[in-house]
Amino acid sequence: MEETSDRLNPTTDTSGIAPEFDPKTMRSTKPGLKRLFITTSVLFSFLLGVPFLWKSVEIYRSPLPFHDIDSLSDQIESTPLQFPCNFHAVFVGFESKDPDKLRSQIQDGINQLTHQSSQCGSCNFSISVTVQNQADQCSETLAYNPSMCSYRCGVIKRNEFGVGLDDTVDESLNDVFSGCSENSGKTYSVVVVNKENANGEDEVIKAVVGKRRHAWVVGSGLEESYGDIVARVSEIFVKVFMNGGRDEESIHGEFMPVGSDGKIVLSFSLLNSNPRDWVYDWDFQRIDDALLAPVTKALAPIANISVESQVLYHTPKSSFSSWDEKLQSYIFRTSDLPFFVNSNEWHLDTSAGASGRSKILQFVVYIPSGKECPLLLQLPNGEISKTNGFISPMWGGVIVWNPENCDKDSESPSRNTISPQDLEQIVEIFLGQFRQLFGFKSEAIYTSGLGTYKILPSERGFTEWELDVLSRKHTCFNLHSCSTTLGSLSRLVRSLPRMIIKDEIGEQVKYSLKAAKLAQSNASLGGYSSSASSSREARSLAENAFFHPSIMSVSYFSYEHCFAVYSPFFLPVVAHIVFAALREWKGYRQEKAKYLTWLTRKKTA
Amino acid sequence: MASLVRSWIPLLILQSFLVAVAFGSKEAEQFSEALLLKPLPDRKVLAHFHFENRAPPSNSHGRHHHLFPKAISQLVQKFRVKEMELSFTQGRWNHEHWGGFDPLSSMNAKPVGVELWAVFDVPQSQVDTSWKNLTHALSGLFCASINFLESSTSYAAPTWGFGTNSDKLRYGSLPREAVCTENLTPWLKLLPCRDKDGISALMNRPSVYRGFYHSQRLHLSTVESGQEGLGSGIVLEQTLTVVLQPETTSVETNMQPSWSLSSLFGRKVVGSCVLAKSSNVYLQLEGRLGHESKNVDTEIEAHKLWKNADFDLSLKPDRVLRESSGLLFIFDIDKSSDSEPFDLGLNWKLPSKWSCQQAPLQASRFLMGSGNERGAIAILLKATESQEKLPGRELTDGRCTIKANIFQIFPWYIKVYYHTLQIFVDQQQKTDSEVLKKINVSPSTDKVSSGMLEMMLELPCEVKSAAISIEYDKGFLHIDEYPPDANQGFDIPSALISFPSHHASLDFQEELSKSPLLSSFKEKSLVRSYTEVLLVPLTTPDFSMPYNVITITCTIFALYFGSLLNVLRRRIGEEERFLKSQGKKTGGVKQLLLRLTAKIRGRPIEAPSSESPAAESSFLSTKLIFKIILIAGAAAAWQYFSTDK
Repeated sequence: MEETSDRLNPTTDTSGIAPEFDPKTMRSTKPGLKRLFITTSVLFSFLLGVPFLWKSVEIYRSPLPFHDIDSLSDQIESTPLQFPCNFHAVFVGFESKDPDKLRSQIQDGINQLTHQSSQCGSCNFSISVTVQNQADQCSETLAYNPSMCSYRCGVIKRNEFGVGLDDTVDESLNDVFSGCSENSGKTYSVVVVNKENANGEDEVIKAVVGKRRHAWVVGSGLEESYGDIVARVSEIFVKVFMNGGRDEESIHGEFMPVGSDGKIVLSFSLLNSNPRDWVYDWDFQRIDDALLAPVTKALAPIANISVESQVLYHTPKSSFSSWDEKLQSYIFRTSDLPFFVNSNEWHLDTSAGASGRSKILQFVVYIPSGKECPLLLQLPNGEISKTNGFISPMWGGVIVWNPENCDKDSESPSRNTISPQDLEQIVEIFLGQFRQLFGFKSEAIYTSGLGTYKILPSERGFTEWELDVLSRKHTCFNLHSCSTTLGSLSRLVRSLPRMIIKDEIGEQVKYSLKAAKLAQSNASLGGYSSSASSSREARSLAENAFFHPSIMSVSYFSYEHCFAVYSPFFLPVVAHIVFAALREWKGYRQEKAKYLTWLTRKKTA
Repeated sequence: MASLVRSWIPLLILQSFLVAVAFGSKEAEQFSEALLLKPLPDRKVLAHFHFENRAPPSNSHGRHHHLFPKAISQLVQKFRVKEMELSFTQGRWNHEHWGGFDPLSSMNAKPVGVELWAVFDVPQSQVDTSWKNLTHALSGLFCASINFLESSTSYAAPTWGFGTNSDKLRYGSLPREAVCTENLTPWLKLLPCRDKDGISALMNRPSVYRGFYHSQRLHLSTVESGQEGLGSGIVLEQTLTVVLQPETTSVETNMQPSWSLSSLFGRKVVGSCVLAKSSNVYLQLEGRLGHESKNVDTEIEAHKLWKNADFDLSLKPDRVLRESSGLLFIFDIDKSSDSEPFDLGLNWKLPSKWSCQQAPLQASRFLMGSGNERGAIAILLKATESQEKLPGRELTDGRCTIKANIFQIFPWYIKVYYHTLQIFVDQQQKTDSEVLKKINVSPSTDKVSSGMLEMMLELPCEVKSAAISIEYDKGFLHIDEYPPDANQGFDIPSALISFPSHHASLDFQEELSKSPLLSSFKEKSLVRSYTEVLLVPLTTPDFSMPYNVITITCTIFALYFGSLLNVLRRRIGEEERFLKSQGKKTGGVKQLLLRLTAKIRGRPIEAPSSESPAAESSFLSTKLIFKIILIAGAAAAWQYFSTDK
């Protein structure tokens, strides 16, 4: 309607004050400001209200430390966590060997083996070498760490060493190296004893890794082939003590079967596939008390383990087996294994006792029915598996146990109890499987290109140095999973701007970061258990934050909802106000221009 | 995927640990199964499966089990459950025809849907937390929405009206829970043989769910060992009660239908569950004793019991027990095999009629009143025929009386006025002091807790009918408190009528069998019956209403605002003058519009050349109206598209 106002003019003002007054382009009075003022004030009050409205529809988002999360994951990616380890090599019966030279050679050997790359959870090592000559005089490298225990010269007698059982040797070495302070990382020692070649025989070099943190290499004529010996010593340090004798290709460290609350439930099930043929029972309580309790106790720093058992019936396997005439038994092949576990009939049950995010490992002892007895596992190379069992990583293991007599003698099913000897064998296989689930070998021999090493098994299932490796890997795994969880949380939060984030989540993230930092600093100081516990805390807090129930409350209050509720009012009203303000402003400018032209005209006149 | 264990570490040292530790006298876990079949007077057959699993007192409960389900044991350990009963029911127990005064009906006639009650062994302050956790655990275990009992508006803490007196008792029921095979499967998983073997193999899902009544129940109780340092034992009792209609070919209507297990279930029993200590099938015939002589020592007379003029059984019973009102045939199914399956059949030869023992009073409940505002609930107790014969009458002040407990939970949106409680005995209103012996009321709190009413009536023995009515107002729920199918209405859980001075038990004249089913029948159980579930329609809002209200008010506001702003802003005089100068140029369309509006307004048509201000103002207002209509139309279209997606 702007064209209306420019053609209109106040008629009363054209009372002929000036002859050149043109009512179309001029006006004699000042244009009024009332209407302009009203419209602009309404518009401004609306504009002022916008921030309040915005504030009222805003959702609560607790500020998350995105920067810290990113820096944590960057740090974990770029500088893998390393623990301080002290490697101590003692050479007994070696003449004229400079310990410093030996040390640098071992250092070179280790560097060669680790390829200079530092894996997460590996050692940040320091090496010390002691050489004891045949006259029991010692020379040492300068100890880097004053708190490190020193070897008392002459304790190991060159010719008396290594006689008797390996276990007693291990114990005696423990006495030799006792009194080591464990303040800054663990100390691992390798004793190399060069025996006198008394009877002139070419004695085989014997290398044993003990139950604690010691290993020894015994042989004669070692001085001549000492380059080889140095390589073996560095191999023991790297491959055994540092990496736990595991292959790089085997189960990756990321698959640590520990729940995010640091708990493992070992659920043992005895499956009678057809109780009409025979019913077997076991006395698991006793096994638990006698055999499993030491293992769970040994693993206590890494995980809180609880043990359950049950006996289930009518649980056929879901794969097929075939009769082998030569072996006089039914066989199933490794290709059948993915179908062996029958999830329909094996109601292994997630345990109600395992609350939250505990990891449940199922260990199943499968007793075949009369139709498929004896049941044997054939390996791809055609051999029959000695254990008759297999594992599935992160799930557990299955052992097929055949009854001694597969003939069904009578019509009524026989009720038996598995004998303690058999049960013990089953537990042995289980321990091997359990070790495999943690990534260790189930064999007592470690073979490398340079020779074989005998590994003394511990009655607790895991030796001390293995537990050290586990604890390092566990800390590393926890921190890694903590950083990835927090990373995905931060990505999620940033990608969904309408998601409500409660203060609890923010706090959990904060504490998780704090615990991760603490774990890192503890690890660098060599606190194995403290870093493991704080890393566990960091992981569980990160998972708690990620799985917080309130995080799902995103979709109920979207922008579309907001728009749908407010637009019926604001769309028409704002259009009115804006257009009115624009028009008034335009009209006012035109009228003012008219007035100004009138004024100039008047002046010139 | 799976890597193999090739060899193991020979852990020789382990052997030394395997010295047998003497465990003292060690009881083993026991499991037994039983099936009771009972022809009902209304030509139906009742089948009652009973499984009992006993775990002796031990400290390894929840950890090591052989027969007992680990999940249940862990539940008991974790939530410190002392006693618990969970039932899933479809259909309503017909008290008139199926009996109301025997242990079977008093224990297995359950309200529709899910009923759960539990007694906890925790300090009083933790009972509610334990209950909430338990509901969630059971919900996961049985694939049912038992977790809805978690909210404090859905459960109650009965003091004495429920029959079990404990202050750590919680009771809740979900009348609308649909019970189906997904609840039966987890229930069967608790049995060692599941439905693979033994009596439970009969549970063919289509035939079980085709029945008239179906109630699956799980009852567990802990048994204190009494010994220091030893945990308590657990007894888990699982029952499934179904009422089936045998298919009949007989044309005679008064003839009872003949049936066999395979015709009822479509399956046969091919052997007992090998893990069961005992597995028996019982056949209970009521009202048969009158014809028989008292002593049946001879073989011939025993034979007469199961093959006589009235009926014959297809299998010879292993034993026959007599109880006060009938016969109980016992069959042992251990002998059956694949080649010779156990297929019990009952063949009627002569029409036969008998009646079931009934509870002293028969209860029914209904709603009164109409409309969406208020109403009344009435519970009607009617005397049954068998009332005079029943024991359990008491003499109070020289009068013969029947005691009846009524226990009722009201959801909070049923706002009951307890002062309106009226009791009529034989259609005469009685004052509270005359018939009401005890009453306990806990009123509901809106959105916080449900109301509960417990009362003990003392009625004269010769009573014909008694009625209780109570009035209520219907509450308003918040919009997000309505269930998805709000228009269906809301269920009021069943009321429980129990008769504290009447106890049902089967009294066998011969020595007590070792069977857990019979011993549970032998125990005196409180006679109780549940009433119908009531469906209360509440005012259901139009759930799109908030949006409609928002859009309508917003449009009105927008219109008001716009016009107000126009009034404030516009210069009417100037516009009129301008129009006057423009008037001659108005086109044909505008004139047409002008005429039209004039006609609508009922004013005489003015000449198009007329330059009267009135005509001009009317034209202006047409424009305004047109705009208003446009905006309103846009708003309506917007609302239509935004809400009707």
